[in-house]
Formats: sequence, C-alpha cells, structure tokens
Amino acid sequence: MQKIKDERLLLKNLQNLRIAYMLQTIGIIGILGYDFITKGLDGMRKNPLWFVFILTTVVSAFLSMNISVEYESRKRSSKQSFLISLVVLTLISTIIGILTSFTEGFTAMNGVFIAGIVFLCGVVPISYVYYLRKKIDNQAD
Amino acid sequence: MRNNLKVARIQANLTQQQLAEKVGVTRQTISLIEKGKYNPTLKLCLEICYALNKTLDEIFWVEKGEW
Repeated sequence: MQKIKDERLLLKNLQNLRIAYMLQTIGIIGILGYDFITKGLDGMRKNPLWFVFILTTVVSAFLSMNISVEYESRKRSSKQSFLISLVVLTLISTIIGILTSFTEGFTAMNGVFIAGIVFLCGVVPISYVYYLRKKIDNQAD
Repeated sequence: MRNNLKVARIQANLTQQQLAEKVGVTRQTISLIEKGKYNPTLKLCLEICYALNKTLDEIFWVEKGEW
C-alpha cells in the first residue's frame, strides 16, 4: 500500500480512525457493562479491559487539557494559579490523610500513604497545566 | 468554497490528473476543490499556484460574503 500524501485523504483517514475508536470504546464499555451486571464491580475491575479503559480515559483527559488551556481567559499569572492549586491540593490531601488516620481500622501510616497518593495524583495534572500555560505564555509576543 | 481553479487549469492546458500529479494529490481532490466542496490548506493552495504559475489572489480570492 502506498503512503498517503493527499491532505484530504489524510483527514478522511483520521475521521475513519475516529469512527473505529468510537466503536472500539462502545465495545469495551459493553463488555465492562456485561461484566458489571454478571460479576459485580470487583469482577468488572478484574477484567484487563478495565485497565485499558481507565488508561485511555486518563490519556484523553490529559490531551484535552491541551485544547481547553488555550480557551481559558486568565486573570492570574500561570505561576500564581499553580501555587494556589498546589496550596489547595496540599490542604485537601492533608485533610483526607488526617480523616483516614482517625478512621477505625486505619493507622496513621495509612493516612500518610493515602494523603501521598492523593497529592501525587493531583500534582501531576496541576504541573502539566502549568507547563501548558507557560508554553502558551512564551508563544505570545 | 468558490474559486477559479478550473479556469486557470484549462488556461494552463492541464487535465485534473496532470495537475494532481504535479502537486502530489489525487485527481478527486482537484475535482472537489474545483467544485468548491473541499477547502484546501494554504500549503496546497500555494502548490497549485506554483504549478499553474498564478498567484493566490488570481485563483482563490473571493469577495467577503461570496462564499
């Protein structure tokens, strides 16, 4: 097969791929839905498709940040927003950590562990958005 | 979008296939551009202009509201 060079056909090819991925996602959701009904939540999560589904959802969320960051009208500087987000995230993860350690059946170590995970999960998208905003700021004259 | 590609191509004495080969696209793409059913990128517009020895203005310019 020849390599496609025609821009119209490249675009059409991308649209075809989109349809294929849409069908694939519907299939994955269908299989997971069936697993959920027949085997329950735990049974569904044991299916490797669950991991694929979550991974693609996270990737898609990160990729859409690329687009949404260009649409936002910002009042604060990138650094200021980054620092505010970081402070809020630290507060939230600390509160979750404290609440976990005071919950019956959980130790203080569990609390630290959960707070660490929440902080890590939050700091990655916050840093990515900061990086994207910085990149846009640098592009502007 | 409306354009003068067909007229320019006939003036240059080229078939759709010949022009398509010159600019590196398929004949169908040239046909769709001529019919105004496909909007080419600026890069392809320039390639077409170079092949037909015309300016962008002569082939692709349309007055506001005409498209």
